[in-house]
Amino acid sequence: MAKLWAIIKREYLERVRSKWFLIATFFGPIFFSAIIIVPAWLASRSKATSDVYNTIILDATEAGFGQRLAVAIAGDSANRSRMPVVRVVSPAELTKAESTATREVMRKERTGYVVVNQQTMAGEAARYAGANATSMADMAQIKNAIRETILATRLQQVGLDSRKMKEITFIPLDFSTERITERGRAGSGMASVLFGFAIGFLLYMSIVVYGQTIMSGVLEEKTTRVAEVVMSSVPTDTLLAGKVLGVGAVGLTQQVIWIGLTYVMLKLRTPIMAKLGAPTMNFSLPDISLAAAILFLLFFLLGFIFYSSLYAAVGSSVNSESEARQAASPLMIMIVSTGVFIQPVLLNPTGTLAKVLSLIPISSPIIMPIRMAVTGVPPLELAGSLILLAIGCLAALWLASRIYRVGLLMYGKRPTMKEMARWVSYAR
Amino acid sequence: MTEYAIDIANVTKRFADHTAVRDLALRVPTGSVYGLLGPNGAGKTTTIRMILNIIAPDSGKIHIFGRPSNDPHLTQRLGYLPEERGLYRKMQVRRVLKFLAELKGVRGSDADKRIDEWLERLSLKTPEKDWGLAKIDELSRGMQQKVQFIGTLLHDPDLVILDEPFSGLDPINAQALKDTVVELKHRGKTVIFSTHLMDNAERLCDSVCIIARGEKVLDGTVTGVKEEHGLRNVALAIEGDGASGVADILRDTSLVRRADDSNRFFEIELVPGADPQVLLRRIIESGASVQRFEMIQPSLHQIFLQKVANTVRPEERAAWAHVEEGMSGHG
Repeated sequence: MAKLWAIIKREYLERVRSKWFLIATFFGPIFFSAIIIVPAWLASRSKATSDVYNTIILDATEAGFGQRLAVAIAGDSANRSRMPVVRVVSPAELTKAESTATREVMRKERTGYVVVNQQTMAGEAARYAGANATSMADMAQIKNAIRETILATRLQQVGLDSRKMKEITFIPLDFSTERITERGRAGSGMASVLFGFAIGFLLYMSIVVYGQTIMSGVLEEKTTRVAEVVMSSVPTDTLLAGKVLGVGAVGLTQQVIWIGLTYVMLKLRTPIMAKLGAPTMNFSLPDISLAAAILFLLFFLLGFIFYSSLYAAVGSSVNSESEARQAASPLMIMIVSTGVFIQPVLLNPTGTLAKVLSLIPISSPIIMPIRMAVTGVPPLELAGSLILLAIGCLAALWLASRIYRVGLLMYGKRPTMKEMARWVSYAR
Repeated sequence: MTEYAIDIANVTKRFADHTAVRDLALRVPTGSVYGLLGPNGAGKTTTIRMILNIIAPDSGKIHIFGRPSNDPHLTQRLGYLPEERGLYRKMQVRRVLKFLAELKGVRGSDADKRIDEWLERLSLKTPEKDWGLAKIDELSRGMQQKVQFIGTLLHDPDLVILDEPFSGLDPINAQALKDTVVELKHRGKTVIFSTHLMDNAERLCDSVCIIARGEKVLDGTVTGVKEEHGLRNVALAIEGDGASGVADILRDTSLVRRADDSNRFFEIELVPGADPQVLLRRIIESGASVQRFEMIQPSLHQIFLQKVANTVRPEERAAWAHVEEGMSGHG
């Protein structure tokens, strides 16, 4: 036991002391909060960029529509500098005007141009071409301005004055969403999807990062021959267990710090958003019961043991970093293909795909916690998933320890699958 | 305490496509310095790994200090320096050593004290500079070897196993290693090492065992082994240009069984019953100027080549003899 402890201690302390760990641990939450805050902030200033002001309106309506649209885009008739240039053209000259405008955009004098014509007046079609055509916010801004102008024109036709019109059309709707589970209302729907994604992403990253950490740790011990010295002092199973537990503890430490700091950052979110001048959204954190927290932890630990023991086996069977990357690719494929399913599962957490993936040990440590975060999971499914994962862990450990103890002493060429299968059958 | 530090009885170890060690039996007396000699692939490292219980024999028994080699309490009494050396590169010297000591059951405070002693003794810790606080990869190769050596001996083992300890050592570290081996012996410890370097083995070892192709070729005390191979060897040194004439004489198989030609120095093994005087006369008649002509005991090197030659394929022998020549300059 003292020896196991010595190995765990070394793995843990050496990694926690490293600069990399400190950087990742303390910048991680800042990064995560930035992921949450920045899009919200960007969304809040969806008055778009100033690009929309630097456009040309080609008005082929012969009804002064372009001028009214320019005012609508600028949002303020007084501010001439924000007003797009309006060029009134006859329908026959439109093609020529468009090519002139295109050249101006190509020379970067203008961002783009809108074409409005009779069809636009009828509310059927309008066109935009420009450098910012992929900017959702810009396009939404222009489209809204066109709709607004059409609506204003129509209302005017039925005799409504413009002030009255503004009053009628101004609808600043705040649409908040909330999810209902069997335990009742559970915070905003958006929040729980974000939360589910965060959990999935966190587990996914930890398994990839710490799995590879273990792999290169094993490889280092093998190539430096430290492994031989250690093996002459402790049984290989103890060494493997010590590594998995030590590195697992590092991962756990990091996650606890991450979750703690992220929580604090989210609490500070409202004041930060207010400082940035963005409207504060109704954003309540989903409340997590203690039982759920323990389950998350359990899934993390089991998933970690499953993958890291296999990574250790890979590390022991190769002789260099480049060989290791190749040999680890089946593991990478297992993890990445799970990662691919995170989004579909988030969108449909009770579907067949989600149910199947949360039972298979390869994907369950990532998929099941996501499902738990976004929906209620029947206890029977949870138990089944945990039992299968535990069995998967035992199988992985058994396999890994056998490959590990032979692989550590084998130098030279990389073993084939057949040779590794034979290692498994070796007594010792 | 039992008489034998290591008692290997009829041990066999097979790997997938070959037998690494076949029916090996050897005994290492407690308190002796024991050399395990043999060409590459002879099974030395496999034997050492079995002694250390890193791998288990397929058949046969190994006892260390009278206990079965898989006794978990034995590891505290064993110290091991593997053939190719390395340590955790990014780790502080002191922490590496403490870790290695803890694996051998040395308690923390005790380990600290011993680490200090050893670092000072091998001048890794001086009033100006404490290399114990540096990381392994900041150390020179020679210093890293010293650190590894400390790691092997920190827990004061009763049996020290050194796999090719002299390979890659600079002359100063090699001397320090020899001094330490001698000191360990004086303190009643058993030292077993494998080596290619016969000069070192001859000077350091009380007993040797030569293995080739997984089997024991011979073993015994160095004196015993040499006596067994009799006084049929002649050391010959000549001066000037007579070497070619002498070489012709040495090819006479009625007189000379084998000769080790080092250009100006020859170690010659006579055919049983051949008269050394006849050889001397013919050499003088050939016009060579003889500087030295002496009846000697065969060197371990000679015995080794002779014995291993019988068990090793010619192409392996050629490669081996080449390595030997390259290395014998060190000692």
